[in-house]
Parts: sequence; structure tokens; C-alpha cells
Amino acid sequence: MEKKNKFIFLFIGIVIGVVIALTSTYLFDIGIAGGSHKENHEMNESGHDHENEADVEDEHGEEPHGDEESINISDEVMKEFGIELQIAGGGNIAVHKDLTGEIVPNTYNVAHIVPRFAGIVKEVYQRIGDNIKKGDKIATIESNESLVTYDVISSIDGTILELHMTPGELIGDDKHIVMVANLNNVWAELSIYQQDLGKIKVGQNVEITSPHSETVFKGKLFYISPIVDEATRTAFARVKLNNTKGIWKPGMFISGSVLTNYKKVKIAVPVNAIQILDGERVIFINDNGGFRPQVVTLGLENNNLIEVIDGLHVGEEYVSKGAYTFKSEILKESFGGGHAH
Amino acid sequence: MNKLIDFVLKNRLLVLVLGIFVVAGGYFSYKELPIDAFPDVSPSLVQVFTQTEGLAPEEVEKYVTFPVEVAMNGLPNLKSIRSVSNFGLSVVNIYFEDETDIYFARQIVNERLTEAREQIPEGFGDPQMGPISTGMGLILFYYIEDETGKYTLEELRAIQDWIIKFQLQTVPGVTEVLGIGGWEKQFHTVVDPKALLRYDLSINEIVEIIKKNNLNVGASFIERDAEEFLVRSVGLATKIQDLENIVVKSVDGTPVYLREIAEIKIGGAVRRGIQTRNGIEEVIAGMVVKLYGSNSSTVISAVEEKMIEINKTLPEGINLVPYYEQKTLVESAVKTVTDALLQGIILVALILMVFMGSLRPSIVVALSIPFSIMVAFIGMHFLGLSVNLMSFGGLAIAIGMMVDASIVLVENVDRLKRKMDEPFMFIVSKASKEVLRPIIFAIIIIITVFIPLFTLQGVEGKTFKPLAFTIALAMLGSLIYAVFIAPVLSSLLLKKKKKKNNETKEEKEIWLVRALIKIYTPFVKFFVHNRFAAIIISVLLLLLGTWIYPKLGSEFTPTLQEGTLVVRLSMAPSISLEESKRITMLAEKRVMRVPEVRGAVTRIGRGEVGAHTDPINSAEMYILLKPEDEWREGLNQEGIEGKIRDEVEGMPGVLLNFTQPIRMTVDELLEGVRAELAVKLFGDDLEQLKSKADEISTLLQGIRGAADIQVDQVSGKPQLKITVDRHSIARYGLNLSDVQEVIQTAIGGETAGQIFEGIRRFDIFVRLAPKYRSNKDAISKLLISSPNGLQVPLSEVATIEEIEGPRQITRERNQRFITIQCNVLGRDIVSFVEESQAAIEANVDLPVGYYTVWGGQFRLQQEANKRFAIVIPITLLLIFFLLFTSFNSIKNSMLILLNIPLALVGGIIGLWLTNQNLSVPASVGFIALFGIALENGMVLVTYFNQLVKEGKSIDVASIEGAKLRLRPVLMTAVTTALGLIPLLIATGTGSEVQRPLATVVVGGLFTSTILTLLVLPALYKWFAIKVEDSEF
Repeated sequence: MEKKNKFIFLFIGIVIGVVIALTSTYLFDIGIAGGSHKENHEMNESGHDHENEADVEDEHGEEPHGDEESINISDEVMKEFGIELQIAGGGNIAVHKDLTGEIVPNTYNVAHIVPRFAGIVKEVYQRIGDNIKKGDKIATIESNESLVTYDVISSIDGTILELHMTPGELIGDDKHIVMVANLNNVWAELSIYQQDLGKIKVGQNVEITSPHSETVFKGKLFYISPIVDEATRTAFARVKLNNTKGIWKPGMFISGSVLTNYKKVKIAVPVNAIQILDGERVIFINDNGGFRPQVVTLGLENNNLIEVIDGLHVGEEYVSKGAYTFKSEILKESFGGGHAH
Repeated sequence: MNKLIDFVLKNRLLVLVLGIFVVAGGYFSYKELPIDAFPDVSPSLVQVFTQTEGLAPEEVEKYVTFPVEVAMNGLPNLKSIRSVSNFGLSVVNIYFEDETDIYFARQIVNERLTEAREQIPEGFGDPQMGPISTGMGLILFYYIEDETGKYTLEELRAIQDWIIKFQLQTVPGVTEVLGIGGWEKQFHTVVDPKALLRYDLSINEIVEIIKKNNLNVGASFIERDAEEFLVRSVGLATKIQDLENIVVKSVDGTPVYLREIAEIKIGGAVRRGIQTRNGIEEVIAGMVVKLYGSNSSTVISAVEEKMIEINKTLPEGINLVPYYEQKTLVESAVKTVTDALLQGIILVALILMVFMGSLRPSIVVALSIPFSIMVAFIGMHFLGLSVNLMSFGGLAIAIGMMVDASIVLVENVDRLKRKMDEPFMFIVSKASKEVLRPIIFAIIIIITVFIPLFTLQGVEGKTFKPLAFTIALAMLGSLIYAVFIAPVLSSLLLKKKKKKNNETKEEKEIWLVRALIKIYTPFVKFFVHNRFAAIIISVLLLLLGTWIYPKLGSEFTPTLQEGTLVVRLSMAPSISLEESKRITMLAEKRVMRVPEVRGAVTRIGRGEVGAHTDPINSAEMYILLKPEDEWREGLNQEGIEGKIRDEVEGMPGVLLNFTQPIRMTVDELLEGVRAELAVKLFGDDLEQLKSKADEISTLLQGIRGAADIQVDQVSGKPQLKITVDRHSIARYGLNLSDVQEVIQTAIGGETAGQIFEGIRRFDIFVRLAPKYRSNKDAISKLLISSPNGLQVPLSEVATIEEIEGPRQITRERNQRFITIQCNVLGRDIVSFVEESQAAIEANVDLPVGYYTVWGGQFRLQQEANKRFAIVIPITLLLIFFLLFTSFNSIKNSMLILLNIPLALVGGIIGLWLTNQNLSVPASVGFIALFGIALENGMVLVTYFNQLVKEGKSIDVASIEGAKLRLRPVLMTAVTTALGLIPLLIATGTGSEVQRPLATVVVGGLFTSTILTLLVLPALYKWFAIKVEDSEF
């Protein structure tokens, strides 16, 4: 009896012990395990966009910019965020190519004057920089052979740029001693790199500017060198500049902006209206009050405007400023987890 | 054992003096203890930051992160290494095992850093360790207010960097002051590329020339006669003109000055973070970082004093305005628990008075509280614990329990005193000896019960261990008090009364206790005679418990309210700093619309490296509220939070998160993911990783129970990728580096030395003028000088494309990885994992070297469960063993253990009634309950046994014993419960963590006490010892 009782108690004891052990372990399970449930719950609560966005992602997981998805932003918020809308319409897109170069004298207006006979310089009448007329005397030289003096005469109107003689100097007849150039018009010689050769053509409009002056000269390209310089690997284009005021001095460093393309397009939008979404170019179009990203095909572009060839129709309303906000809204679900941990 | 009591009573003076020493020791320890708001849950972590100007994530990873990681492998105590390579910043987090000494960890990391430095190419940055601090180290934030409006952001930043920062860093306990916002002043050399072309120079030549023209040198000394003259040559540039007049080139004797090629002006450095305020302006701000282990409130006070001093030295109209500090939080958290502690002490003392009916025994018992607390302080000092919400909370919880041991002892003295007519010393000695053994065992059991808490890991471990420690320490203190001091004090203080009340000894029980006994007697008689009624009641209660249990919600540790509101804004990863600033200021304006908001100060991105690593698409807005009395009628903080939420919600392209400063910082430092399940896919190629991760996520979607699946978004940062064509550069006779140097300097800019203004130094930064480098078209025109004098545009030798690159690269285990997170709803997570693993095995073809690791909260839970599955039974076994040693009877021990389930029921009901959830603190409450419930049982059973041994029948012994022990049982239970009442009703900072714990204990005590008093006597018969058994 006694012993039996003891066993029964032992048995009861074990049962109680096990029950207690299990319940308490279970309690802890819940205490800890339950934790994460709540935690997630909390996360969803605090950033419940999170959850919604996640759902959105699921929906359009396969199709990045499904048509059914559109973003609604109230007018007030649009105003607050500086979002502006425009109606798709035509525009003119001018594309420029910027080139650099220098001012050179007009080769056709330069006279290199060579003494007819070698001899001694008797007198020099002009100085470098003097403006002279055609037929003006520049110097008098006594020929070595005939000992007769003769005058060196300018063949053109212009400015003396070079003058390589002083009285008493012996001058040969093999190289020019005077260079006279007419600087009333000069050339701007613009360097063209190989890659741009195809785009630059004779007759294109060009604006010439100098870094240190406000003056802008508008002209046309009249010549493009038929060969590329072996040393610099550049070709050059020329523009004729009127220089009656003497602003453009040969040797001056200048920039030229060549209008390489100008097109009247059916639809032109501001460059910032185009956003890259999942590697595709999109524009946000008003679709019954909401805005949806529309993949577009683009054409010509410059720094401000871009041509839309396909995807946007004339008369449709699109986001012209602040399109990035719409892009962010679409990406919203993805950037919660982007934080550094 | 008995000798101990004799010894104590013989050397009363000695014992008292020692006791006073302990109290004094406790007091001094307390003075030394650091005070924090919460236990610091930051992991043992050393962060290594490397700033690399201008490098994209891929390059940062390759050149910087990888060498650092590799060097750190194999450190002792290393737990894991995790890294993030961002634009221009590499952060390597080196996690050590918990409890690793931070200085040791830093030292070994530092040793390895020298190794890493050798591997990092020249000019790619110098890895530095973060401040010696933790997630709770950001103790004070301030911004610089400029009332005059005259100062530029550069000037204000210079004031921050060169005046404020240096002065604040001298405050003891401050390890770092990090500035953010405004512009770091630089001397910008803005180069005109056309001028370079004109004078046939390259931008890198300019950098070299500036470097060569900005030097001071020393030339030792010369001797003249008996004197020495030091020789130095001074050539440092000190102002803009000095730089402008540097000659870069000389053609035929005509110098070309730097000013002809570049414009030199004061400008701001490239920045990756700014600080805005109230939606109206940019400000400069600073963050004060506390040294690891220093006392928050002391440091903050010192910093605040220093700031007043600094304000006096700053120019008129410029002030430092603190906008966040932890002191208020620390103070209010400590106040919450201190209040609870004091209220608890008063309540307990009152109860003692009521039950004891006189002052003297109450004093003897009540003195146990300060003594135990002082012992706990000494222990805390040795364990390096800080005073905080949890450790003090532990004391508050234990108040009622601290007196239990002394109650039992003093009550016994009191009882015997009335019953016996022996010399008082003998009575004290006898009474003490009678209860000594059960007291010691009861307290050891209570301490034992907390063992499972010490096995908690991670955040919960760090949060609740201090609580467990202080409880255990205080219990130890109460034991010491009960064994040594209480007998002495009883003998000194209770003596007189005994003589005075000699006549009326048996009647001395006060009316309350008598009344209670009167009510109680019929009940206990009924149950002892009708044992099955007792069983039915217990079973019913148990059933009630099991019925309610599933109705309880569950949660993690309730969030600690820090009292400071932070709104976190996340914007698209590709965002520019200007746009980020614009959006943030819009958000600030919205927040300011709430009338209770005084201000909003936001940090965007990161400032000086050391605390934050956020990219510029992330902003943290601190909301400053007006004083409470200016709030609208009926609004509390939650209400205001709601109003703010209403305002900021619905900002397009912005993801909002409401959080709190400390929590946010700690979350950042913690490793791991918050979701239940996280599949980490390791591999090398980012594209591959992304596509395989997407495959896995699609697969998971198809598995039942999957919810909230999220794949890390690793890409999304637009890049302009310039690939140099090797054939083209060969034609021009260029080296790759010739091209890349130009790209680097022209677009990114390069520092060409410094300009000193006194000790302030400012970089000379060379870069092309913005319009020549700000778009793809302009960049394609960058000119590169070739050795044969050619100027080649970049587009001739390289292709430039716009691509989308990684926003950041995260690594672990020395490998790149991507995380797929997911929660599991409505099914068992283990089976879900198995099913998904099988599905992935079958359907996803991972390339060689790619593998998945399954983790997440579920893994932590599993580990915790595994630990508990071992630890809890062992603990119970230990308790059982202790009980057995104490009673020498299996049956008795069983009977006492029976209290546990009955107590649990009460805790569950308590939670249910107060509408709270099962949470970690509630679990802690259940654990504490174990111990307390056992104590009750022990008191009763001990006495039953004693009566049985005295020869009474079991029934009589049950009834008599229960009646006689009503007072101590009720007293211990009521003191414990009332000691917790202040925590139950507290509303201050941190009360939300203590409340569930207190609820469980109070609820459990309620049921367990009633049942102890009714069911235990009833069941005693079946579990009673045989008289002969108990002889030993």
C-alpha cells in the first residue's frame, strides 16, 4: 500500500511538473514569439503606407507601369510641391553644338609683301599697327644690283601686322617683309572634333562669343576644311566676322555655338518632364484626374526641350514640372528598406 | 544554522556596526552609479568609418570596405561583420559577443586597422573608428541660432567647427561633437576649361602648381657668434589674393596668373547632409556624443553649463539652442520608478502597521527595505549596472518581497512573544531559529526562479537582465537583513513592549487580523472537510485561465515612450540634396501648422562622420512641442501625434515613420531584420542577386501563409558611367589615368592644400566651373591633354552612359547579400520554412557560390524557445530540489509546486481584465510570480508540518495552521501586491514597460493567496508527511 501510494504521488508529481514546465515554456514562447507578431503589426501601423505600397508592388510586380495604376495628388498638394501641368503641344527645338576656336585674319584680305630686289633699307614710313591704304608707301629700298631705290607699296587697304625691317638693314628678296591685313572682316576658325564632323555643315548658323566680352556675333559657316589636321585630329570651320569696330582681334580665343538642327515638332516637352522609371523613359499623363506613367519614345532634344514622338498625344495634359515627385511616389514602397543597418 | 543566530545575537553591536557599513557602502555605491534612462541595449559593436570623396558604392566596396572586412576576420570574440558601402562612405560594423569589453574590442580592431590601411589605395580614405559610445550616446543636439541674420552659412559653420566644437569637447564625458549643416568653408578655385585650352594647361597641372606655391618650410638654424637663429621660409597663402597671384605658366617671360584661369572665391564643401528648421531656413547643428559608460545626466548638465559659457563668447546675436537632450528623459524615467519606489515603501509600511498593530515591529520589518536596496546598490556597482528604468524598476517590484523574510521572522517573534514566557532573548532566538530555514530556502527559490531571465539574449536580455539582477540582489539583501539584522533589531526594539503587554499576550492580535481570522475560519473548515470542493474550485479556475489565455493578444516589449517625437522621412534613393531639402522643408511647414508645435528641426543625410550614416534621401525631424499648459483643451501627446500625422500624411513620394530618438539609433545599430522570416541570399553579382531574389520572392508568394514579402531594394541610384575606350586612348597616346584624373578633378574636384587662418584651416578646392560639368553633354566635352599637346574631348576616348546603379552595397560574411523578408500568417512557421526551402531547391537555379541563409525573428524565437525549453525545466527541477531539501518530502514539494499553475491563472486574468497583452515584461512577471507563489505555500506547509509533528491530526493541523498563518501569508502577499500598486497606476515615462509586469504579479498573487489559504489546507491531507518521515 505504502509503496504504491508513493508511486502514485511520484506519478502525480511528474505530471504536475511536466504540466508546469510545458505551460511556462509555452508562456515564454508567446512572450517572445508573440513579440514579432506585434512588431510587424506595429510597423504596419506606423508606416501603413508600407503595407499598401507592398500590395501595390504585388499587383504590378509583373507589369511595371500597368495602366490601372494612377497617382492622385490633390491640387493643393500639387501647388505645395510646385508641380505644374501643361497641355501637350508643338514647339521648336533648336540643337546647338559648341565649338572653340580663334580669330584669324581673313586669308583673302592679307597681303604678304616681298621686296622685288634684295637691297638696303633706306627709309621706313610706317610702323606696325598703322592703317594704310592700297598704294601707300611703306618703305624705300636701294637695290643691291642696280643701286636704284624703289618703294615698297601696300597692295591692299589694311593694317600692318608684320614689319621686318629697319633703315640700313640688308633685306633679301626671298621672304616677305611686310604683312598687311584688312581686319574689317576676320574669320573665326572653329575646331571640329571627328565625332562632330557629320553634324557640322556649311551654311549653318553660328553664334560667336568671346569669354571676356559681351559681344555676340551671328553668322554662318561658309567653309569646312576638307581635311583633318594630322597633329590635332581636328578639322575646322570658318565664319566671316564683320570687324569694323575692331573688336575681334586675331589670336583671340572664342567659342562658337553652331545650330546643327532646328525642327518644329508636333510635341515638345520640358526635359524634366521625362523621368526614368525601371529603365524606361516615361511621362506622367493626366488620366481622368489621376496621373499615370506613360512610356514614351523620344526624338530630338536640347538642354530645355525634348521631342516626344510616341506615347503622348497633342492635347493631353502632362506633368511638366515636378514629375520627380510622381516617380518617387511610385517608388515609395521600395525605399523603406533602403536604410543603412 | 542555529549557531549563526546565536552568534548574531551575542554580537549585536558588531552586527549593527557592520549593517551600518553596508548601508553606507550602498549609499556611496549609489553615488557612483551612472544614471541612464533605459538599459543600453546597443550591441557590443565597433564601427569603422571610411570617408572616400566622390567614390560610388562599387568602388567604395572594392577599395575600402573589403580590405577592412578582411582585416577584421578572426578577431577574438567576434560575432559578425556587416558592412554598408554607400556613396563616399564605407561603414563596417564589427559585432562582438555580448559583454565584450568595449575598450578591448576597440584595441584589437585598431591593431587590425593598420593592416587594412596598407591595403587601401592611397587617397581612398583613412578608416577610423567611430566614437567610444553606444546607441544611447547621442545625449544632446543643438542648433546655432543667428538672430542678426548677418552671418552666412559658411561663417556659422566655421563658428561651429572651430569654436563651439572644441570647447564642448573639453567637457568631461563628451567623446565627440559632430557638426552638420551649413557649408564647410573652402577656397574654391573654379577653373574655366576654355582658359585651360587657351593656355594649354590641364586641370591637374593647376592642382600641382597650387600645391607647389603654398608652403612653409623650416631650414634648421644658423649660428651667429654665440647665438642661434632659426631659419624658416614663409610662403603659405593666407587669402584669396595670394592664390590669385600664383603664376601658373610663363610664356616668353609673360606670367599667366591663376586668376586668369580660375575664379577664386569662398565656397562650401561638398556636403551629404544638412539641417533645416521650421521649414524656413537651413541651420547649423551639432550633436554631443557621450563617452561610453559616463553618467548621462551629469554630462548633459556639464554640457549645458558649458553652452551658457560659450554663448557669452560667441558674436552678438548668435546662440546655441539645444533642441534635444536626454536629461529630461533620464530624469523622468528615474522619477517614475523612484516615485513608485517611495510610494511602495510608504504603502508597505502602512500595511505593516495595520497588520502588526504597532510601530516597533513595523519599523524592524520596514528597515529591511532600505537595507536591501543598499545591498542591491553595492551589487549593481560591482556588476557595472546603471541606474535606469529597468534596474530601479526591479527594486520597485521587489519592495514588497524585500520585507517578506523579515515579516515571517518578526511575526514569529511577535507570536512567540505573546505565547511564551521565557526571557526575551531566548524567544527571539527560538523564533528566529524556527523560521530561518524556510526563509533561506524561500529566498533562494525566488532568486532561482529568475535564472531563466539571465538566459535572455539580445535586446530583451539587455533590457530585462538588469531588472532580474536588482531583484535578485535586493532579495539577497533582504535575506542578509532577515538573518543578521532583523533578530538583533527585534531583540532591541521589541523587548519593552513584551514586558508591558505581558498580561494580554494571546489577545494582542489586532482587530483587523482577528476579524479576518473570524471570516476565514469557516471557509477553511469547509474546504478542509470538503476537499473535492477545493479541487473543483482550483480546476474551475484553471479552466477559466485556459479559456482566457487564447483571448490575450501578444506583443513584444511595449515601446518605451521617450517623450520626444521624431518623424522619419524616406524619399526616393535617386533624390538630390536640394530636392530632399525642399521636400523636408515642406514637411516641416506642415508640421508647424499644428498649434502645439513650437518648432521642427530636421537632419537630412549625414554630417560629420561618427554617428549617422544616412543617405541624403533620409531625413529625421525632431518635433519640439510647446509647454503642456499651452496645448488645446483635451489634447495629450498621443493626440498631438495624431494631429501631426494627419498633417504630414499624404505627402507624395515620401514615406513616413513615427519613431523616437533612442529607439531609432539603437535600431540602426542592431543587426538583423525585424520581419519574422528573412532569407538572405549571398552571392557576388548584384544583378544576379537581384534577379534571383526576385525569383525567390515570387516563389514565396505562392506558398500558403506568406505575407508582406519584401525584397531589399539595392539599386535605384542613377549613375553616369564613363567607360574609357582603350583603343581610342592609345591613338592619342594617353594613359587611362590621364583621362581618369581629369574626370576626377574636373567633375569631382580635388583638394590642393589648405589655407590657414590662425589654427583654422580651410581646403583649397579645385574644380571646373559648374556649367562645364553639370550634365552629360558638358562632361562629354571635358578636354584631356595628351602628351603631344593635343586637347581631346572626353567623348572621343570614352563612352558616357546613364545607368541605374546600386544605392548601397551591404555585405555580411565577407560577401554581398540581399534580403527577402516575409511574415507568416495563419500557419506554423517551421513548416512554412521547410516548404519554401524545398520549393526554392526545386525551382530556383542558383549560380555556383550562391547560397541562402534563413533567419529573422523566427530564428531568434526558436533559439530563445530552445533555451527556455531547457532552462525552465531545469529551474523547476532546481526549485523542486530546493523544496525537497527543505521539506525532505516529495509530497510536500508537490503541494507547494501546485501553487504555480494557480498563480499563473491569476496573472492571466489580471492581464485580461486590464486589457493588456502577453509581452516580455508580462513573462517576467510570471517568473516573479513563481517565486512569490511558492513562498506562500512554503510558509503554510512548514507550519502544518510543525503542527503535525507536535502530534495534531492532519485536519486539525490544516485548519489551525491556516488560521495561525493567515497573518504572515496575508502580510507577505499584501505587501508584495501593494508595493506594486504604484507601478500599476504610474503614468510617467517608462511606466508602460512595468505595468504588465506588475499586473501579472498582482493578479497572480490575488488568486494564489486565496488558493493558498483555501485549497492548500484542503489538499494538505493527501500530501502530508508521515510524522516519522520528517524526522531528521
